[in-house]
Amino acid sequence: MLTLYFRESDSGPAHAVQGVVLSVVQPLQSGTARVAQPFRNGWNWVSDLFHAKSENGQLRVEVRQLRAGLAQQLTTQDENAQLRAMVSLQKDPLFPKALQMVAARVIARSTSAWYSTVTIDAGSNAGIAVYDAVINGDGLVGRVTKVSPTAAQVTLITDQQSYVDAVVLPGDLKGGAQGILAGSVTGDTTLQYVDKNAKVQVGQYVMTSGTSGRLQSVFARGIPIGQVDSVGRQEVELYQSIAVRPFVDFHKLDVVQVIVR
Amino acid sequence: MMPARTQAEGDWQWPSAADVARLAAALVVAVLLQTTVAPNIRVLGANPDFALVIVVSVALIKGSETGALFGFLTGTFVAIALMEPFGLSAFVFVLVGYLAGRYAETADLSAGFAPLLSAFAATLLADVLFALAQFLLERQVPFGLFLGRVLVPSLILNTLIAAPVYLAVRLWLRGAGDLRVARAR
Repeated sequence: MLTLYFRESDSGPAHAVQGVVLSVVQPLQSGTARVAQPFRNGWNWVSDLFHAKSENGQLRVEVRQLRAGLAQQLTTQDENAQLRAMVSLQKDPLFPKALQMVAARVIARSTSAWYSTVTIDAGSNAGIAVYDAVINGDGLVGRVTKVSPTAAQVTLITDQQSYVDAVVLPGDLKGGAQGILAGSVTGDTTLQYVDKNAKVQVGQYVMTSGTSGRLQSVFARGIPIGQVDSVGRQEVELYQSIAVRPFVDFHKLDVVQVIVR
Repeated sequence: MMPARTQAEGDWQWPSAADVARLAAALVVAVLLQTTVAPNIRVLGANPDFALVIVVSVALIKGSETGALFGFLTGTFVAIALMEPFGLSAFVFVLVGYLAGRYAETADLSAGFAPLLSAFAATLLADVLFALAQFLLERQVPFGLFLGRVLVPSLILNTLIAAPVYLAVRLWLRGAGDLRVARAR
């Protein structure tokens, strides 16, 4: 049959029989294929599903790895930004020079409404002592109130027992209005004991004054604290009450620097 | 060595080594949650008190004496971690642990709201005691602020987290014995 098929022309009997049989079988094939189509699709779907499932697993692992990488990158970027801000703050012409700094990270925070404190991961072993000022890239954070060899407690300037000698800048010919920045139980900061005749306007900058009366303050002069938010003058009061909005976001404290003396 | 006060001699006996290990792990978790996670969760101006709710949960499961001891250690370690005035948290948590434990020993805990009720009462007691201590330390304690920004938000938050925290603690300590199982025997 094989030799006959190859030896004859396209119009030969073997080809003719093939044509006839094909014309009979073809509709059956077509119908069968149509009936089988959903089953084939179903099978392919199940097969694809298994394939997709395993692919899904691989993709999930990949997404997890990418997310971890992204999180690490974002954390590094964030830390980088904080460190850059600190360097930039120290390059500011007003910022006190020749200060020795110790970098530290905030490791715990008090959730008590009565205390505004954080714990940092550096202590007396790193040269930190009580009353050292603590800053971050935005400005003054607080001062060290307790020290252990490997950790220290920092009382934030928003704490109700925090007092910082501060000055409002830019001042007039006599200099900026001076006062004491005090925290409160609500977390608000106010500049107290400011002379009633001193001209203070909303938006002016508040910085550490570096002096406490005739004595030197524990905070070096020129550390930015915040901006004047509102000024309250009353005839019956001896002093002005000035609300100050700190530059530091105390809910996002992470990397800080301690000015060691 | 542990004191040999047996159940026959008294109501309480020292927990087994497995119990102690599980309680120690719960203590570490409570301190870490309170000092590192809770400060980042701020709702209505307040933070949840995971340590307090874990002390309540342990006391409900293990009884008053274990609850008081666990409360003392949790309060002490939280104060150490935050370098806060030593002893105040320990004192408050001892009371909370003991009272929650007594409640578990004397009341019928079959109702599912016992952890929520205990967390609510413990938060109320702890906040009032902390505020009183601040007052005695001559710090400002404005009543309006205490009520609106401390007490009410923390009551809501701590009651909300009480159910999941209690379930997690119960799951963790279940292998180490359960007060109610012991009482049923």
